[in-house]
Amino acid sequence: MPRIAGVDIPDKKKIRYALRYIHGIGPTFADKILAAAGIDGDTRAGELSDQDVGQVAATIEAGYIIEGTLRRQVQQHIQRLKDIRSYRGDRHRKGLPVRGQRTRCNARTRKGHKKTVAGKKGVKGH
Amino acid sequence: MSRSLKKGPFVDEKLYGKVQRLNADGRHVPVKTWARACTIVPEFVGHTFQVHNGRIFIDVFCTEDMVGHKLGEFSLTRMFRGHTNKKEGVKQRH
Repeated sequence: MPRIAGVDIPDKKKIRYALRYIHGIGPTFADKILAAAGIDGDTRAGELSDQDVGQVAATIEAGYIIEGTLRRQVQQHIQRLKDIRSYRGDRHRKGLPVRGQRTRCNARTRKGHKKTVAGKKGVKGH
Repeated sequence: MSRSLKKGPFVDEKLYGKVQRLNADGRHVPVKTWARACTIVPEFVGHTFQVHNGRIFIDVFCTEDMVGHKLGEFSLTRMFRGHTNKKEGVKQRH
């Protein structure tokens, strides 16, 4: 069972898909990394030699921001928006959509589960 | 969709000129402006702008972190006072 980039242990899947279990690596980066490391993406992750795994790890190390570093970076960017008191920072703080979407309905990803408000349309009364 | 790089950032000419003159004099006085769409350029850093929000002018002090943002992002146009509570009427917030 190969171990790449610390804790990630992708397994029986082809390495092209297994790599995506690392935060910060999607389809595009997975293929690019494998191309740079000179490994066939269709080999199973478990069948890779230690040398291949090292190769992949080295490639990621050299040119990609992943996992904790990436999460921290994203948090820093959000924190910057909050610190300069911009509108976008404000939206992050309030947990509302940041990019101008409507909030009259939907926006549930940001707002979380519905909180029923008495007296609003559809609720008994009136 | 983001703005074409070919055009460069949008900077209000008149405001920019004013800031340049202030910089030449080494003065820092608040600048009243309605140019909310104007991008904050490095020359603006350290200046205070009074950005109109449709009703009043809001003081915006430009720091280095703000470069690349628009003036309007720091002068909110909407005021949210909380939702009405049936028993208490409008909640007092802000």
